[in-house]
Amino acid sequence: MSDTTLSVIRAPSTAEPVALINEDWLAVILSLSIFILALAALVHVDLIGWVVSTSVWGNFGQALGPVSKGYAALGGLGALLATYAALTLVLSLAAAALKSDVRRFALAFTAVFWIAYASWIVGNYANFAAVTPAEQQKFGIDWSLKLTSEGAYIFAMLAGLIVANVFPRFAEAIKVAVRPDLYIKVAIVILGGFFAVTAAGRLSLATSLILRGVAAIVEAYLIYWVVVYFIARKWFGFSREWAAPLASGISICGVSAAIATGGAIRARPTVPVLVSSLVLIFAVFEVLILPFVAQTYLAHEPLVAGAWMGLAVKTDGAAVAAGGISESLILAKNAAEGIHYQPGWILGTAATIKVFIDIFIGIWAFVLGYIWTNHVNPTRAPDRARAREIWERFPKFIIGFVVTFLVGLYLALGTPAEIAKNVPAAIGEANTFRVIFFILAFFSIGVLSNFKALWQEGFGKLAAVYLVSLFGFVIWVGLVISWLFFSGIKPPLAS
Amino acid sequence: VHDLKKTPLQENTMPQSNIRTDLRDELRNAPVEPLLPIEKKLIGWSLAIGLVLLVVLAAINHFFPVTPP
Repeated sequence: MSDTTLSVIRAPSTAEPVALINEDWLAVILSLSIFILALAALVHVDLIGWVVSTSVWGNFGQALGPVSKGYAALGGLGALLATYAALTLVLSLAAAALKSDVRRFALAFTAVFWIAYASWIVGNYANFAAVTPAEQQKFGIDWSLKLTSEGAYIFAMLAGLIVANVFPRFAEAIKVAVRPDLYIKVAIVILGGFFAVTAAGRLSLATSLILRGVAAIVEAYLIYWVVVYFIARKWFGFSREWAAPLASGISICGVSAAIATGGAIRARPTVPVLVSSLVLIFAVFEVLILPFVAQTYLAHEPLVAGAWMGLAVKTDGAAVAAGGISESLILAKNAAEGIHYQPGWILGTAATIKVFIDIFIGIWAFVLGYIWTNHVNPTRAPDRARAREIWERFPKFIIGFVVTFLVGLYLALGTPAEIAKNVPAAIGEANTFRVIFFILAFFSIGVLSNFKALWQEGFGKLAAVYLVSLFGFVIWVGLVISWLFFSGIKPPLAS
Repeated sequence: VHDLKKTPLQENTMPQSNIRTDLRDELRNAPVEPLLPIEKKLIGWSLAIGLVLLVVLAAINHFFPVTPP
């Protein structure tokens, strides 16, 4: 039987064609293109208002619609088809740039898009998503799981898990379009603009939150990493080659950190690849559990919950999405108590923490590379770690996040009132794409999570380190640090 | 036992079943690598710097609290 987890996240083969551009830069180009097209609405040119948006629904006819009233004539189905066609076209071009088989990609993406979006629509069904009594009354229902609209991401992930674990051959067939990293990076760059609009109203609060992100860097690199490394080496007897990528995968930001560390210490490519597949599987569990724990225990400390998701949930996609789900659940719980917080702050806190942690991947990988190539396994001078690797390993999509954040902030605060008043709506259109890329990322994470891999004998020992470190240490220390730096800080109330 | 340590980089394309078998064998038969002094230094210094920085940041957080919205 094929093993989706291992086969999809694999190191590039020497036989594969060299891509014209890496996935990081591609994500920046795609997301900035969407952002720029959305900004045309500032001068009353609505270029992407046709993108489909889903509302909580009781009657399927109410579920879908274009995000802009200017495209109302398209109808829900028309908007969905237009969105599918546009994404297929653009992402197929991206696949060509990555030297993938474009025809195979388009076919596979068709399956990915329709299954993922269908599960998103199902997740928005009123009996799953309606939260308040008023909403239940509106839809004529007397019960609801109250998962909120964002809870539908879990449906997308579950759909992916079913594909991976029940239909592994199908999962293998669509793997060319299963690209959680690309999708989530596009989403995070767009999120920068959305967060800017949210932050513009409360700039001092936003600045304070960003500065507190520094604590996350200290925690992830200087405390988490060495403790996990020590556990892996001393308690589980892993070699240095395994322990270092494992420590990065568990403590920093999952897949990209494991791969960067593997490269830096000159590990064999299979090592970070196997660690990465493990990271994704555990991220699924975290996303399914932690937002609900946060809703239960941290509903009155919303930003602690956001910071906790950013610190405890590994991989960018899972962390930011867990922040989004937590936000929905916590806002709903507070709304039921008559407290209406402004949306965006919990998600923004989770994303900021994650981005702060990501920024230092290159530097940490260089530090490890320097120690390994000079002291642990001394190598010849040309093979030693070089400072330029810091830039080579820097996650470039962060540049996109900073650009959209600064541009969004300038447009909201530095432009005349008649332009500034249109900024939230314009960036809101881009944000609809952000939601769609989140859905694709969530489905993809599910597809990559083949639980059978966990039962492989060798994997069990790796999983044990992960389990001990994550649930015995990382999650709880993350909670303490989040509490220390974010407790008592409330998001602004919605006006 | 096939030793992954001697496996050249190109073998990342080897069949998945081989990866699993090798992983199992490698982890079971890997010789113990004691912590080198440089690893102990890395662990000790990182923890020490991390804890000191956290205390400093916590103090800053305490003396410069977030302005309520």
